[in-house]
Amino acid sequence: MKHHVQIEVNGRPRDDWVEERELLVTYLRETLGLTGTHVGCVVGECGACSVHLDGALVKSCLVLAVQAGGRSVRTVEGLGRGGELDAVQASFVDAYGVQCGYCTPGMLLAAHALLDRNPDPDEADVRRALAGNVCMCTGYVQIVRAVLDAARRMRAPAGSERR
Amino acid sequence: MTSPGPFAYVGKPTPSREAPRFVRGRGTFVDDIKLPGMLHAVIGRSPHAHARILSADGSRAARHPGVEAVVTSPEHVELTSPFRPGRYASGLGTHVPEYAMAAGKVRYVGEPVCALAASDRATAEDALSEIEVLYETLEAVTSPAQAVAPGAPLLFDEVGSNEVWRNAISYGDVEAAFREAEVVVRHTLSMHRYSSTPLEPFACVASYEKGGGTGALTVWCNAQAPEVIHDALRETLGIDDVRVVITDIGGSFGQKIHLIRKYVVITALLSMRCGKPVKWAEDRTEHLMAGGHACGQEFEVEAAVKRDGTVLGLRVREVDDVGGSLSTATIHFTNKLNNLFNTYRVGAISLEGTAVVTNKCPVVPNRGIGKPAMCFVWERTMDRIAAELGMDRLEVRLKNVVPTGAFPYTTPSGNIYDSGDYEGLLHTAAERMGYDELKAEQARARTDGRYLGIGIAMGIEPGGRNLSRDLALLPDVKGIPGSGGTSGATLRIERSGSVTVTLGVPSSGQGHETTAAQVVAEVLRIPPERVRVASTFDTTASPWGGASTNSGNNFHLYEIGAVHGAATQLRDKLLALAASVLGLPADELSFESDGVVRSKADPARKTGLVELARLAYNNTVLVPDGMEPGLQTTFMYRFPHAQPFAVPDEQRRVRAQFTFPASVHMALVEVDVSTGRVDVLRYLVVGDNGTIINPGVVEGQVIGSAAHGISVALGEAFAYGSDGQLLTRTLRDYGKSTTLTTPSIEVEHRGMPSPFTPLGQKAAGEGAAIPSPAAIASAVEDALEPLGVRVRDLPLGPESVWRLINGLPERVFD
Repeated sequence: MKHHVQIEVNGRPRDDWVEERELLVTYLRETLGLTGTHVGCVVGECGACSVHLDGALVKSCLVLAVQAGGRSVRTVEGLGRGGELDAVQASFVDAYGVQCGYCTPGMLLAAHALLDRNPDPDEADVRRALAGNVCMCTGYVQIVRAVLDAARRMRAPAGSERR
Repeated sequence: MTSPGPFAYVGKPTPSREAPRFVRGRGTFVDDIKLPGMLHAVIGRSPHAHARILSADGSRAARHPGVEAVVTSPEHVELTSPFRPGRYASGLGTHVPEYAMAAGKVRYVGEPVCALAASDRATAEDALSEIEVLYETLEAVTSPAQAVAPGAPLLFDEVGSNEVWRNAISYGDVEAAFREAEVVVRHTLSMHRYSSTPLEPFACVASYEKGGGTGALTVWCNAQAPEVIHDALRETLGIDDVRVVITDIGGSFGQKIHLIRKYVVITALLSMRCGKPVKWAEDRTEHLMAGGHACGQEFEVEAAVKRDGTVLGLRVREVDDVGGSLSTATIHFTNKLNNLFNTYRVGAISLEGTAVVTNKCPVVPNRGIGKPAMCFVWERTMDRIAAELGMDRLEVRLKNVVPTGAFPYTTPSGNIYDSGDYEGLLHTAAERMGYDELKAEQARARTDGRYLGIGIAMGIEPGGRNLSRDLALLPDVKGIPGSGGTSGATLRIERSGSVTVTLGVPSSGQGHETTAAQVVAEVLRIPPERVRVASTFDTTASPWGGASTNSGNNFHLYEIGAVHGAATQLRDKLLALAASVLGLPADELSFESDGVVRSKADPARKTGLVELARLAYNNTVLVPDGMEPGLQTTFMYRFPHAQPFAVPDEQRRVRAQFTFPASVHMALVEVDVSTGRVDVLRYLVVGDNGTIINPGVVEGQVIGSAAHGISVALGEAFAYGSDGQLLTRTLRDYGKSTTLTTPSIEVEHRGMPSPFTPLGQKAAGEGAAIPSPAAIASAVEDALEPLGVRVRDLPLGPESVWRLINGLPERVFD
């Protein structure tokens, strides 16, 4: 049976019918074509499908699409403005925080969730905030550096960013 | 041989070319591909570790609304041909046909037995339970010891034994070494089953179109070795017109070379049956069960040693637990030729081994294939020698490493270590780690009841595959199955003066686009931003390549060689064209930055890349006679220094690989003796990767592979029950490390350029995954030294360490 949902995705209202068993990640990828949200395990252990739901970090494989009804979702495609990278994205690029790119969108959203509530984290804070996001390529060092660098950029006065 | 540098772009941290699309969520992974009318496949797998398939009936599933194609194992065997035996099973005596699905029998939990395609994934999963497969279950064998015990059930009746292979090789006079030995050090060691678990599981889209001849098949898949897929589809389905497209790959590490071919064949067969495109995306549990494991390896080691710590020879007996397939039965043994002597100047070694099939997942290449275990053997033995002779562990290594003045150094097995400074690596690591201070701190901590341990391990990272290697083990094989290796790069200078590059291999996160662009920029003296490297591999557009498979560790040698060669050809052609345009001999011209070619004598006379490119394509009347128009070339690289020992000589000496980076790893750990938990407080890698093309990229490769090796040592592991059921079916159960358990790995480069490669470059990929398991074992043993604990087996999860501390048998599972 299908249910009617209204979801705001990356600032745009959506009006769709979804199967009751449909996962939010499936809705985002298959219905909306937002393929930046990845599937790595479907049981909430890898974090590749991390998105923000009403500003909170969630794993979109553990949320049903119907549960997102009446709420707002932000995915990796909603980061940055007008094609420009935001500070977190730019830091990941500059710090070589990306290898295969599969964990990257989830990492970015986890980093944003941290920086939203703590603009001045230390390394331990960053490591705790990313503990639900697994990366098989990098060994995390460059990712942690990128998030610390992003925090610095976001605290810096406007206009002083490199990109 | 030219000495490399100085460089304009090589060695600089030029910005990543791949990262911008990934941080925007705009990578193209296979599961992102959507074709019109595409169906979704799921695969049915054996719930039993060992059983005979009595019957399979897909008729009910076929009637399920939305289902358009069903294939069961008996049909699959009927419709397809077996894979041809390949080099991962070199030298097997009896050939047993292997298909993409189980044939008659299942030999591991998760072996594919049926598949179907339906309108969407959910429908496909619903219908899958309606395929009825009946089994007669058989007793499972889950360890080599059990498998070779008298009366054990046979996995392959045709072979007549579960020990499917036996081989031995020796170099130097091993018997003499043991006669001369003043001390013989003996121990048994083992490494367990693990995987590099790429975050993106296997995936494939297959689209078959009937028509002309055998029809046309296009597959998009995340295989790292396109040649394997190409061969597999042709061999099994008999289709000649096969196109393989490989877009972004979410990590591979060897894991995506071999077993993925089965699933590409199954998906293609479904597409052939229904005439529509079909997508299959593996889930995590499927991958952990059946995507392939690193081999469980057991060793008996004896070292012939003099009292001063000099190692005269080593005797190693190995048993490999290769799981329920013959197709990769020998690779973990044969690959040990690559780092057989590790970093040591030792005169004699003998290695004999057996491969034993068990009812577990087949083994596959995985960040080093057997090299981590060979390094583990050497490094655990060095620590043992130090302990038994009362020497320092650093000192034993310094005593035995190939001395710095001895390079290029030829090992008794024929490997030629291109360059190195192993003593320097050891000294630098000890200094940077504060080895002596740490020993004092350790002593103080012990008086407070804290158990700190310092671990040391060193290893080489052989790079560049030589296809003739296995001939050293199989001298009776008729003819040469292959030798050396090659890969191509196609370069085109556009009329805008920018450059387009196509490589013969796909990338899976190693920064190929960034690195290749830097090399082109270096040769043509243009900014790397003006070089576009194709991110998609396509057999209809890309040059031939020998696969980015990292235990070949090929990229730095064959691909960079090809890119450098192609760019050099085009630079020479630009000079010749400029000479013609300017009416000057080419040797009176200089090639300057931004593509300017100028007369040395009269700097006012010059031309540039754009002018020359326009001429080469659009003004062919002015292109000199005998010169091909255009500025496009494909260069196939062959390693020019492959001799001697490119093929084995009478003493079976062969160069298993061609470049030899090296590294020293040091770890500081603390063990909580009440729980067995190990915390890595510091981890340092001091490495020689030759000339580094991009330091950001290489640092990432080193840290990433070290992190994996540390996680392997500290508990990530596949565990099976005695019935052959996999107990670790999720990443958490499997024990993958996270940001909380992975240390902040430090890296120091101490590069010694290779004299054999165009830029002095050496491999840089899986290297740090090779010594890291041994470094952690060394640290844990050092920490627990006051308790008399000896670390012989991995992994060292809390339970294993707690058992060691309490004197209980270490291994919990088979």
